[in-house]
Amino acid sequence: MTDSNRVQHSDAVSTAWQFTEQVPHGRDLGMQVVSVNGNQVCMRLTPESWMFAEDSSEEICTSVLYSLADSASGLAVFAEARELSPTATLDLRMDYLRPAIGDRALLAVAICRQLTDEVAFIHCDILSEGDSALLATANATFMRNTQGQQFHAGGRAKEGA
Amino acid sequence: MKTIGDSAQQSSSPTEKEKECSDWGALLERIPYARHLELEVQRYDAGLVVHMPCREALIGNFMLPALHGGVIGALIELIARVAAQSQDTETRCPRILDSHINYLRSAQARSTFASAEIVRQGRRTSLVRVTCWQGDKSKLIASGQVQLLLPTMAAKEADLHEQ
Repeated sequence: MTDSNRVQHSDAVSTAWQFTEQVPHGRDLGMQVVSVNGNQVCMRLTPESWMFAEDSSEEICTSVLYSLADSASGLAVFAEARELSPTATLDLRMDYLRPAIGDRALLAVAICRQLTDEVAFIHCDILSEGDSALLATANATFMRNTQGQQFHAGGRAKEGA
Repeated sequence: MKTIGDSAQQSSSPTEKEKECSDWGALLERIPYARHLELEVQRYDAGLVVHMPCREALIGNFMLPALHGGVIGALIELIARVAAQSQDTETRCPRILDSHINYLRSAQARSTFASAEIVRQGRRTSLVRVTCWQGDKSKLIASGQVQLLLPTMAAKEADLHEQ
């Protein structure tokens, strides 16, 4: 890999990182990107009481975990692909292994298992910060190079590939 | 609300439909995250529909723009939970075990609707199939299956002992 390629690749990942943090729904839930290492992405979310599943308990609604898994999985596609072609979620399957209690931040760790020109297969684990017990696991399939506009740092839009 | 293979459910009287509608509304109202998403129950001839109004906070891709996949996931999971709970004679609060959602079309930044079908309501579990659409009901934007666990008496007693 040449030096110019390396710069270009890290630019693609940092642009995807920036894009993820600008997504309105991600901002609404307070999602943050913690790290992108190779094909692995870590994202974090601090629960609020309006994210709970019931008024009478402090359990976080499963759908909040679902959103976090979808966002982290989407970023993991870019982490592996290292280019910014538009992608779309084809399907996502969540297994909720244990209740997520709202007194700790949620972490999502997503990894790209396989990438082809057309699709990406992602696995994502959801945990409570400071606890190794899995709260939920997700498997998602993404379509690559879908119709849409590419995102460029600075907010300029250009027709997608 | 329709149940597969149970045509009697579909011919319920208008008053029964209204009661079911207000029951669903009350169950949704108890879920803080459903209130945040401003989900509301609407009654149509074909059954109950949950409406999710569009807001900027629901956008997942501001370039298209399109709704976030997780927002569609939430609509599907929450209507499944309310459908399963309303079918349960003891209106036990179900726990979502898993959900599998297929995204069929891009979800535009506009009102989204969902309806639920109970595939099977067992003694301990419920399987609910949900479909989502926007302008045209025949053009689905997503479909999902959600499996829920209905807490048994034994599990409830175990919870009491823990307290």
